Amino acid sequence: MAKKNSKNWLLIPIIALIYLLVFVAEKVAGTSSMLVTVLEKGAIYALIAVSLNLLNGFTGLFSLGQAGFMLVGAYTYAVLTIPMAKRAAVYQYYNGGCITFTVPFIIAIILGGLLAAAFAALIGFPVLRLKSDYLAIATLGFAEIARALVQFDGLGPITNGSNLLKTYPTYKTVMFPFCAAGICIAIILLLIHSTYGRAFKAIRDDEIAAEAMGINLFRHKELSFVISSFFAGVGGALLAMYQGTLQANAFKSSMTYEILLIVVIGGMGSVSGSVIASFLFIACSEWWLRFLDAEQFIWGIKVPLLRSGFRMVVFAVVIMLIVLFYSRGIMGDREISIDRIIKKFSKKKGATK
Amino acid sequence: MSVLRVENITMQFGGVVAINNLSMEINKGEIVALIGPNGAGKTTAFNCITGVYEPTNGADYFNDSPIAINHPTGKMAKTYAGINADQYVGKHLHMTPDKITKLGIARTFQNIRLFKSMTAFENVLIGTHLRRTSNPFSATFRLNMREEKKLRAHAMDMLEVVGLADLADEKATSLPYGKQRRLEIARALATDPKLLLLDEPAAGMNPQETDDLGVFIRDIKDRFDLTVFLIEHHMNLVMDISDRIYVIDFGKQIAEGVPAEIRDNPAVIAAYLGVDEE
Ligand SMILES: Nc1ncnc2c1ncn2[C@@H]1O[C@H](COP(=O)(O)OP(=O)(O)OP(=O)(O)O)[C@@H](O)[C@H]1O
Ligand SMILES: [Mg+2]
Repeated sequence: MAKKNSKNWLLIPIIALIYLLVFVAEKVAGTSSMLVTVLEKGAIYALIAVSLNLLNGFTGLFSLGQAGFMLVGAYTYAVLTIPMAKRAAVYQYYNGGCITFTVPFIIAIILGGLLAAAFAALIGFPVLRLKSDYLAIATLGFAEIARALVQFDGLGPITNGSNLLKTYPTYKTVMFPFCAAGICIAIILLLIHSTYGRAFKAIRDDEIAAEAMGINLFRHKELSFVISSFFAGVGGALLAMYQGTLQANAFKSSMTYEILLIVVIGGMGSVSGSVIASFLFIACSEWWLRFLDAEQFIWGIKVPLLRSGFRMVVFAVVIMLIVLFYSRGIMGDREISIDRIIKKFSKKKGATK
Repeated sequence: MSVLRVENITMQFGGVVAINNLSMEINKGEIVALIGPNGAGKTTAFNCITGVYEPTNGADYFNDSPIAINHPTGKMAKTYAGINADQYVGKHLHMTPDKITKLGIARTFQNIRLFKSMTAFENVLIGTHLRRTSNPFSATFRLNMREEKKLRAHAMDMLEVVGLADLADEKATSLPYGKQRRLEIARALATDPKLLLLDEPAAGMNPQETDDLGVFIRDIKDRFDLTVFLIEHHMNLVMDISDRIYVIDFGKQIAEGVPAEIRDNPAVIAAYLGVDEE
């Protein structure tokens, strides 16, 4: 039940303030600064991590196909938006490709999500009737097959095979991925707090009890899986915009593991945890640990260990430490709550008296 | 009129015959108990009624329409150790537990199965999900506010009925045992059942709570126009509230009758001999 006197409405102005700060940061630091790059990618990864969390954290289903659904979304977006005039150059090995129309970019993003959702529905239909473990195998297989198929020469007139897709429209400001991801995450949050989201959590907690409560396991698992994949597809389309060029090779299973890691670090079953972890993860891997990759000389002496690739070693150790000592993640299964922060604060004050 | 009819049910796990050609009938408005020593097959019988298990052979009827029919096939046809194997050939019906709950059979679990991440109130709220009319879209975008309010009010009413309204926001699994059992009943009631199956509702309760439970079961039976079928080891409670009692041992019925008959039945006394009464 919603408690009375809750101060959690304060989160709304706080979030608005964060958006304002991002807006200002872009004006001050410039669109191509490292800060803005991290913010862009962090926002997109936040959406994808939350979509995976809906499945893993809230429904208790284990999927390893997020990269595959992102790939579907990204390719749908790129293929449908490359301007007609540029197709001959992009599809130079395939006579300009076989698609002779473009759609507005917003429509293309949504279509990317819908196609990913359609694939999820097809996979889920047989697999989600079985024991939950099979979903991990089936989705992993799907991601690998999707990546191979996109690069398949026979599909070249559509996907451009293993060649780059480029010159499709991208966004001009960090506010675009921020707003798009924000809207999508808000929708997922609304779903989680609806009667359907409660049913998902019931399935996660205890399948047998959930079924005894009249919850159709297959239908609700399928629903969660399809919605999760829709948003993974949308996230993929946004990632294509972020990158500016697109190649299937980037969507390896290591990408799925990255996102899974973000979900675990943030906390299974915590949306705010996934969002925070995404920004931290991207900032660490792309920015804060960058210096480890560059050889450095202090007073003419080469600093030991610093060389290309060392960043990933440190990164792996940091993640191992987090998983070992913080096994429930930053947030556990709780959300950010102003009430709890106030409570903690007043408790500390009381203790010092 | 029979609300539930169990007909020639046999449940066999590999070579173990847990239920052996069991038939029972429960009439509208009755409180019927199912008793028997540990491992007699009582919980298995409930699982065969609620769709958790598909019986190896036999049929169940709810309000005279079938909810489960099966006969041994495939490998089971060879290892089947029960009788009546050919009575149900050509007929087969399996409903998943959620469908059976929707028809109006709700249950509680012997080993309490509350949703552990949720508060007491949220646990009961889950029980209202099956009566929703909203779809995922309308529920997400809050176009179902009126219904949502109604479901919440209904859940709160059920918590009040079991006397846990003041603990609504407590984590369900942090409640004492006896209250968890009551919460499971509230959750079952929230599904709006016609028939309530209670699997050892008094297990883990102190004598005072057990006495209260008897009054409570009668009370909800009248209030919600229920039929109650319960498994219980506390003989005082069983004798006190049951209209009729079925006794099973090794999956077979050994007696049936009103409490006074069962108390003096030599076969029942023999089955319970050496089995300490909890
Ligand atoms: N899924 C299963 N697989 C194999 N054997 C089972 C299964 N479920 C129950 N059994 C067996 O069926 C028999 C009856 O078990 P059941 O749980 O129905 O007994 P019970 O009468 O409820 O006992 P208790 O009073 O201890 O709860 C036991 O021998 C048990 O081992
Ligand atoms: Mg039992």
